[in-house]
Amino acid sequence: MSETLRRIEIPIAITVLCTLLQIVPLYIEVEPLEAFSDTFRSWMILVATCALFMGAASLSLLHSKKIQRRTTGWQFSVLTLVSMVLIMVTGLPIPEIGLGVDNQVFDFLFTNILTPLGATMYSIIAFFITSAAYRSFRARNLEATVVLVSGILMICYNAPLMTSLWQGFIPIGDWIFSVPNMATMRAVIIGSALGAIALAMRVLLGIERGYLRGGEE
Amino acid sequence: MLSLLAIMGAVTYYIRRARAGNVSEVRRLAGIDAITEAIGRAVEMGRPVFCSHGISDMRDATYGPQTIAGLSVLSYVATQCVDLGARLIVPVRNTEVWPVATDIVETAYKIAGRSDEFNIDDIVYLSSDQFGYSSNYLGMMMREKPGANIMVGAYWAESLQLAETGNRVGAMQVSGTANTHQLAFFVVATDYCLIGEEIFAAGAYVTEDPVFISSIAGQDFGRIIAVALMILGTILFTFGSDALISLLEW
Repeated sequence: MSETLRRIEIPIAITVLCTLLQIVPLYIEVEPLEAFSDTFRSWMILVATCALFMGAASLSLLHSKKIQRRTTGWQFSVLTLVSMVLIMVTGLPIPEIGLGVDNQVFDFLFTNILTPLGATMYSIIAFFITSAAYRSFRARNLEATVVLVSGILMICYNAPLMTSLWQGFIPIGDWIFSVPNMATMRAVIIGSALGAIALAMRVLLGIERGYLRGGEE
Repeated sequence: MLSLLAIMGAVTYYIRRARAGNVSEVRRLAGIDAITEAIGRAVEMGRPVFCSHGISDMRDATYGPQTIAGLSVLSYVATQCVDLGARLIVPVRNTEVWPVATDIVETAYKIAGRSDEFNIDDIVYLSSDQFGYSSNYLGMMMREKPGANIMVGAYWAESLQLAETGNRVGAMQVSGTANTHQLAFFVVATDYCLIGEEIFAAGAYVTEDPVFISSIAGQDFGRIIAVALMILGTILFTFGSDALISLLEW
């Protein structure tokens, strides 16, 4: 029985059915089909929500093992588990007993810890951009020189100090942005859309199986 | 819908043609060819391999296909890692993708008859929060010092953080995304970058299956339609006609 359930044809059939149920109602108006498609979307949300518990379980197991084995930095695992439980419990949507988004502890954790940590991680990108620019802005060959020159011109275009010194940076920057940059981006977007359609086709035909346990029978 | 059917028809046609023995040729993708080299390098250095598939889920209509493409690459990387004896670490952001990634890696070990070597703790769910995920990923890279870092999928602001940290720890990096706003970061900060549609072709490319590879040729038919429409649209619009726009909006 378990061997039958492990057969790769089952997930392929489910994928094909679900895909068709989302595509067909877009083009053909059949009320029962649309209703069925809506129900499927609700199921999808339910499945995704269930997966959240799997994530929490996986995280708990991993960090519990680290604490149990006293591996390097196990103290951080304690902190992770305590934070996870605390924010999970205080954020439970039961306002009758003071839990949920209005809970003071939840509000404190969200406003004073989670949000600043996220903002910090986002803001350090500026330093990463600097180090990446330092390494890559070298005229090693023709292509790298084009990147270097256009990069410098765009920096000048975006720096008010430079545009106030020479107004010519504005039309040059506008041209780089709206002609070569736009053309390249559109080519990549069109190519990506076609690639995604071809991928969908391969998934529908059951040929693309890499995402299903490596496509093995 | 007509364009969609035409492209789908072309893909099916090339698949049938390949089954009949007429296989299309596909240009080499340096980024994919470099994956084996990167894994081999990591093995020689005695370091692990990191492989991630972006931060999107599999359901999203726009970004989901990138995750599927990333998982196909993960499947290839897992097989290569098992063959070459490298430790594979997969950082995951999305809870619903975690079991899929786990299954892919576990199957690679099972096929090689080395199930006992599979460690579920190496397929790590980090955080559903974007920067929670990236900070965890960076921390893991600094601690584990991977010899190879392969990132194919949908990435956003964390792309440069991951690529730069990978560079800092001396990992050979292969990246790929169809998110145009992140492509520039990957191009400058990683050793090889798969651009846009190349990531969707990667799954087919790594199988070396003629039927599979021929399906990529079908995409070219779609490209011809797109270019023809663009030229026609430009000519018509230049002469003051918006007939094509009206037709496409119909």
